[in-house]
Amino acid sequence: MQPFTLNYARPAVHLEVTTPYMYDSGLQLNVLPDGRIAATDHATLRALGTTTSTAGSKTHFDD
Amino acid sequence: MTVLILTSEEDVTADLVVLRLNEAGVPVVRLDPADLTTRVALSGEYVQGICHGHLSVADRLVSMSGLRSVWVRRPGLPAARAAQPSAWLTEEASQALYGMLRCTDARWMNHPDAARRARHKPWQLRLAQRSGLPVPATLITTFPQAAREFSERFPDLVVKPVSGAHPQEPPRAVPTSRVAPDTDFAAVAFGPTLLQRRVPKLADIRLTAVGDRLFAARKTVEPDADPDDVDVRFSPSLSPWNPVEVPPRVATAVHAYLSGAELAYGAFDFAEDADGIWWFLECNQSGQFGFVEMDTGQPIADAIARWLASAPDGTPAPSGGTRRSAL
Repeated sequence: MQPFTLNYARPAVHLEVTTPYMYDSGLQLNVLPDGRIAATDHATLRALGTTTSTAGSKTHFDD
Repeated sequence: MTVLILTSEEDVTADLVVLRLNEAGVPVVRLDPADLTTRVALSGEYVQGICHGHLSVADRLVSMSGLRSVWVRRPGLPAARAAQPSAWLTEEASQALYGMLRCTDARWMNHPDAARRARHKPWQLRLAQRSGLPVPATLITTFPQAAREFSERFPDLVVKPVSGAHPQEPPRAVPTSRVAPDTDFAAVAFGPTLLQRRVPKLADIRLTAVGDRLFAARKTVEPDADPDDVDVRFSPSLSPWNPVEVPPRVATAVHAYLSGAELAYGAFDFAEDADGIWWFLECNQSGQFGFVEMDTGQPIADAIARWLASAPDGTPAPSGGTRRSAL
């Protein structure tokens, strides 16, 4: 009784990414431990894939 | 006049736009509706024919009448992190917040009504057709026989979720996948199934539209790529995204699509075939753009910031420092 489309499902890959930045409510920006703005560190963002179209987000299906 | 950004704290892509707005001296208030009743508060009164409303987060306070624009980026469910969350409280908080915001003259990227409609893939396909974008032959059905007949007419098919959503119990991903020849379509009866003619593609195209501005990027399919790797999001390809010119006919059609959908922002996915035709796959009204900007250098965040900061008639915003105040 499984819908046809689910025959093509695969286990979701849980990327337990620990982001090295924290939100600063004063700046309204995420900040790295050394005080730099995370969004200016493209190498970190690429490594984390946090700006990437990934599909399968639990809360957002717009990628 | 302030730009209101509704998104989660960890949304570092939104940071790219906040930075641009800060550089331009445009006041910004950023909050996550999930924090309503904890870190976020609201108030509105309707007295003697006049409506006044305020929002606050941390030590920032903004008047509803002082909002220039609202960017609905990746907001959480209203009141989801309340002390005692519930579906009822979420509905109450959603009605209060979005109901008050609808009373303002602010511009929306994107308006919730347009966003909700734009998520429907069947509707996207029809609007794309009407806008003049090539759409691969597609069938959405619960009739197994219709699926069989469609597969006889179009033997090389892919299947993908109608909604784009992925099942959560247990968590699974459903990438766009090729349908093998002689597949048994009986299970089509158990759920709406979207079948589409596979486009043998030379490249994936991501076109990000911000107001009237279009930024297209192209990712080449590697010659030795497995033809079963249909979905670029799950592809192991390491090819970068490169900027590419938008063909004039595509640009005209995309503008028509955005106008028909009443969207200020859209991330379009196309498959480019051997004839150079861009086949419309979908338009995500809140699609990611950071990865494209980092690969291509296209100033998408800057374009979003300019759109949010400009007046309804398109004139740029005057500079002004970010203000803070207390309740």
